[in-house]
Amino acid sequence: MKFYLKSNNIEGMKNFRYKIGFLALLLISLFPISIFAQSSGSENLVIESLQKFWNNTGLANFEFKYLAMIVVGLVFIYLGIAHKWEPLLLVPIGFGILIGNVPFTDGFRIGIYEQGSVMNILYSGVVQGWYPPLIFLGIGAMTDFSSLISNPKLMMLGAAAQLGIFVSFIIAYAVGFSPAQSGAIGIIGGADGPTAIFISSRLAPELMGAIAVAAYSYMALVPVIQPPIMKLLTTNKERKIRMKPPRQVTKLEKIIFPIIGLLLTTFISPSAMPLLGMLFLGNLLKESGVTERLADTARNALLNSITILLGVTVGASTQADRFLTVDSLMIFGLGAFSFMIATAGGVLFAKIMNLFLKEGNKINPLIGSAGVSAVPDSARVSQDVGLSYDKSNHLLMHAMAPNVAGVIGSAVAAGILLGILS
Amino acid sequence: MKLLMINSWEELLTAAAIGIMVVFSVLFVLVLLFELFQVIVLKVAKKKVVKSGIDVDKIKDIPANEIAAISMALYLYLDSMHDEESNVLTIKRIERRYSPWNSKIYGLNNLHR
Repeated sequence: MKFYLKSNNIEGMKNFRYKIGFLALLLISLFPISIFAQSSGSENLVIESLQKFWNNTGLANFEFKYLAMIVVGLVFIYLGIAHKWEPLLLVPIGFGILIGNVPFTDGFRIGIYEQGSVMNILYSGVVQGWYPPLIFLGIGAMTDFSSLISNPKLMMLGAAAQLGIFVSFIIAYAVGFSPAQSGAIGIIGGADGPTAIFISSRLAPELMGAIAVAAYSYMALVPVIQPPIMKLLTTNKERKIRMKPPRQVTKLEKIIFPIIGLLLTTFISPSAMPLLGMLFLGNLLKESGVTERLADTARNALLNSITILLGVTVGASTQADRFLTVDSLMIFGLGAFSFMIATAGGVLFAKIMNLFLKEGNKINPLIGSAGVSAVPDSARVSQDVGLSYDKSNHLLMHAMAPNVAGVIGSAVAAGILLGILS
Repeated sequence: MKLLMINSWEELLTAAAIGIMVVFSVLFVLVLLFELFQVIVLKVAKKKVVKSGIDVDKIKDIPANEIAAISMALYLYLDSMHDEESNVLTIKRIERRYSPWNSKIYGLNNLHR
């Protein structure tokens, strides 16, 4: 220990000497430049150059709205790292917000909205809507639909939770947004970031930054938003309902599910094809058992790469001068409302289904909230709330069924909105 | 392609109603298909069990504790099935010629303090 301390001191001293030496060298090298500037009468040129340099710095272009957005970015990073709320999304988005809100001068192809800039090229995946289908490919390759196949009626909870999308679609129109913008805002209630981005890139590109950030923020806030609504709408007895364990699903069923699922959903709602096509392709790669390498790439390397690019560019798109508007605030409000309605829709529909189900086949309404498609967080919330009332009642496997049905449901809803409004 | 031109409240509400109905009906058809498929799969599985001569009703009556005990016994049995090994340990000596490329001395910092 002593030895290390001593050696560290010596290293520190050495470093200090190097720094002093470097500073001295810099001053000596500036001296001939100043002599040259004086002798050639180009003092003004030096000052002008320094002035230009200063004008291009972030400090010269600073405004408080950028600082506000930087604080938002820091909060995202803090929530992701310290509270582990969706860190895979909040950390890249938060950092993206920092990148997007460093003030700069236009014309140097730096900003995300400047044609040809690096960030603009990366952002094209969001604007053109090709990141979301790739994300869906990865989600498909990592999703196990067996709980859904073993108890297909739970799929209806995934449909009921899409109520939030359509209710907030109506409310958004009522507060003054155009029909296309209202559709893009409503999709936040689907709790599906990639779908929200996909739809807003088609219906309301001007609102995409706000919609994407709202969708991802609320997905991260699932453990905060959902439990109070779940508790409010259920009785103590309902929260303790025990469900039958899901049966074992055969391999044939698992292989057939993505094929039938694709054909059925996209024949009815073809606009959802980019999302559902990739989702079911990813799932077939996983379940077929003969394309493990492709499934592995889709759910790991590809999904992770696209998540990074999507997160950073969505974050960077929140440039303060475009993002801090009344519309953005309204979108955040409507998004939260949409999310609450979606949660309530799932829970209430489970209660309605229970009216028609025999004793022993009843559904625990707590899994209804998992119908919003924030996979797997909303299923985990159902599990946690269920456990807080009955420590031996594990709802996770049951909740996964409406959860993955929600992914299908929100993609279908997105396809319908796209078909009607685009 | 535009399916509906939304210019009024009526049209908007119609669009929302159609939307939610389509979502429900798509997933409902999926439910029906897979309920049907489930029935077929279970019937086929039952037939297989009946052919093998096992009483299906008896299987249903096995309590959870017994299933757990059978699973544990099977696990222990299958886990104990290893290849016979000789239990003789040998050390294989490998001679390495000296090479500076893998010499340890070049991979360390020489701090003579």
